[in-house]
Amino acid sequence: MRSIDTDLELKHLEQRVLHYAHDVFHRTLPEMRFFILEPMEFASLLHKRVYPKSPQNLWEGKEMISTRYRVDSGQESSLYYEVVQTGRPSYAYLNETNSPMVQASVMAHVVGHCEFSELNVLHDSNDDRTERVMYLVNRVDRSRQGMGEAHYRTFWNAAESLVSLIAPNSQFNLESSVDTDILYSDPLEKEKEKESSLLTFPYSYTLSEVIQKKENHESLLETDNRRKSNKEALNRRGYKLKAPCQDIMGFLRKFAPASTGERNILDYLYTVNSTSDFVIRTQIMNEGWAMYWEHKIMKKLFEEKACTGIIDYCKIFAGVCYPRPYYQRNPYHLGYYMWNHIEELYEQGKVSLEFVEETDVAKKAAWDKPSGQQPLKAMEHIIETCTDYEFLRRFLTTELIDKFHLNRIPKSHIPHLKITANDVAREDRQFVWVNPEPVKEQMLNFFTHFHRPRIYLIDVDFMEGGLLLYHRDDGRDLRRRWIRPTLKNINMIWKGPVSLLCRESLYTLSAGKFKNSTVEAPPFEHIVERMQEGRRPFVL
Amino acid sequence: MTEDKISSSDSEGIFNDFIKERLEDMVDNIISEGDMSSFGGRESEIIVETDDIQPPRFTYGDEQDGQGGGGGEGPGREAGRLSFAVSYELIMQLIAEKLKLPSLLKEGQGKIKEVSYEFKTYGTAGIILDKKRTFKRALKTSIATKVYDPARGIYDIQLRRKDRRFKLPERVETPRYKAVVFYIGDISYSTYGERLKLEKRVVNFIQHWLDFNYGADKVEHRFFVHDSEAYEVMADQFFNVSNAGGTQASMVFDMVSQVARNEYEINSTNFYAFYFGDGEVFHDDAEEIMRILDEDMLPFFNRIGVTEVKPSGMSQLVSILEERFDNDEVVRLTQMRDSSKIKKVICDLFR
Repeated sequence: MRSIDTDLELKHLEQRVLHYAHDVFHRTLPEMRFFILEPMEFASLLHKRVYPKSPQNLWEGKEMISTRYRVDSGQESSLYYEVVQTGRPSYAYLNETNSPMVQASVMAHVVGHCEFSELNVLHDSNDDRTERVMYLVNRVDRSRQGMGEAHYRTFWNAAESLVSLIAPNSQFNLESSVDTDILYSDPLEKEKEKESSLLTFPYSYTLSEVIQKKENHESLLETDNRRKSNKEALNRRGYKLKAPCQDIMGFLRKFAPASTGERNILDYLYTVNSTSDFVIRTQIMNEGWAMYWEHKIMKKLFEEKACTGIIDYCKIFAGVCYPRPYYQRNPYHLGYYMWNHIEELYEQGKVSLEFVEETDVAKKAAWDKPSGQQPLKAMEHIIETCTDYEFLRRFLTTELIDKFHLNRIPKSHIPHLKITANDVAREDRQFVWVNPEPVKEQMLNFFTHFHRPRIYLIDVDFMEGGLLLYHRDDGRDLRRRWIRPTLKNINMIWKGPVSLLCRESLYTLSAGKFKNSTVEAPPFEHIVERMQEGRRPFVL
Repeated sequence: MTEDKISSSDSEGIFNDFIKERLEDMVDNIISEGDMSSFGGRESEIIVETDDIQPPRFTYGDEQDGQGGGGGEGPGREAGRLSFAVSYELIMQLIAEKLKLPSLLKEGQGKIKEVSYEFKTYGTAGIILDKKRTFKRALKTSIATKVYDPARGIYDIQLRRKDRRFKLPERVETPRYKAVVFYIGDISYSTYGERLKLEKRVVNFIQHWLDFNYGADKVEHRFFVHDSEAYEVMADQFFNVSNAGGTQASMVFDMVSQVARNEYEINSTNFYAFYFGDGEVFHDDAEEIMRILDEDMLPFFNRIGVTEVKPSGMSQLVSILEERFDNDEVVRLTQMRDSSKIKKVICDLFR
């Protein structure tokens, strides 16, 4: 790995890219540091989750050896284009085998990613992210010596089972699910403050009492009992579950009884994997924004002849932005064309009440009444307030689905997709175009589950100190053979019984024994309700 | 950070430990069922394909896809396949460890040596100047004599004659071993099908084992067959010569003994001979073999193996030779009835 300063040509290109980003297009950017890597360094970096160092572990080793074999045997190209770790500063890595023109396009692309992380509502960018991870790596390395090699490897492997249970941006994340005196201020105090403010506010006292009585049927005794129980739980453990928690690894990282070394491993794995939650929730907007700025900056670079090879660039761009059907959505293609479409909407004043209320189809089609609002400002506002779900919900229309070929399916895929003749709008020799209406719904559905099982922590005192996990039924079965080893791994971290409530089964791993009993799992809404009422979510 | 190398070598080491354990489990299969003839030489890599491993997680998936994972201690398995390259050396080492095979006793030490020179030592006189060491010494001296004193803005380095250090060659002598292996096959019985397969596996193993121990370029493999007469054949003909009828095995032992004496330097060569046949020989023929082994071959052969492949009720070579060579250090007698016995045969021949 070497700094971009060691390559004069690339350094010049970097300066030109940053000139356009900062001075011409006025982008909101953190400090960006570029480094040049050899191809196998690039592969290694990817397996380290885009940080230059990582603690030694089996899985990275497996991925790396497997990649090396695939590259050596010609099954995989070592020509990766770019990776960036956003943050302040951001670290972007260039593959030394790429041509200068490609490197310039990568730098321009990175500009888009860095700005997106800075602006987005999920606040992905934070100070010294890479430096913080380097610090965690050192801590884990030191812990390894203290823990002993065997325990270190065993615990790491166990913790890997939790990586799919990270959800810091979920509606049921740690902050909204757990009352604690560790993370936040005392919630009981907050509640007390709220109550006392109601009682000491004479102006609305009578009205409040009336409203409160309608809203809350709890007797004073019940309220008092609930408060006492909350207080007891907080005093005893330092936390209390008030709602299902989807960020299970986040919970265990904070509250599992763990040695310093074990906690360091959990901290490291959580920190490096939690950004993937941001990626999955914003991938279309993010990649689209990066392509949008890459395209704009590259045009400028070609105009001033800072780099050559515009035909090659067009080929690469067309390859990256190639349309794919909705179930294999290409975020580069969809995002790029969506942003261009939105820019056009704002330029023509089509995001306005007047346009929406216009009933004349011909007038709507020819609409071009700029509202005076800067399209770019409006686009930035969308980034500041939306994730992919809202982005698609607001701006993806059936016309766009058809225009972007999201409903175009290769005929070879048809047998696997349960598509009937009624679903087909038109076809040619190679493709079938399905009706675009249901496509949007299916694309939005992705954001409720991301094609992954939704697992929640619903009780931390099940079977006397055990964890109770809940699989929210999506109509699909979990891979049964993996339930036991996964529970065993969670058990190793929690150091107490662990159960999983899944459809009609309750799987329990306690004291090394695995048990599967038949039960009736209540629906998720009942569980939420019971927890809000301070009752046990599930009782055997 | 600017000059660091990004590498996963530590993690690759952990995975190598893991696959080493898995390969140990696979060694039986490699010996009994694998095709060792496709192995390359010492420098080659062997592609190993095995079940993929994944950390067990709550996931959707077909029940048929997955196998149970080893909670905590290790990974789960997925239906996918995992391919990676393993060095020939590692595979052979694992086989040796698994079968508890000793390193072969190499003779001829001190007779033939490979001489090389390594620049390990350093002196005040010589031809090849060690610039790094010289500079270090000059710097130390310059600091001590205040010729180099950054505090006073003096950055001179004085290079004195006695600071100079030269690389000195050191003679390294490595004993060079050579070995010759005689493979002897009985073509008077029906060597085809299962018999041929068993014989091939053991011969392949012996070839690799000796190449691994001595180095492929230092081992000569020679192939002999017999019916009622003895012939030397090429390696690829060894398994393909047709049955000529009749049998007299002592002739081929005599021939091998003559070749060993006449064509090689007995004091500096390691001799190995491995006989494969159905063991159906006449009594006097077996006695003649016993005599040749005892008088002509035993004194200078490192190892002689006699293997009855799928022996019948008429097979008597091993039982007759046992009268003289039971538990002998050099002559090893064994029988191979089916592929499950390959491992035992190899152990009998080499342990």
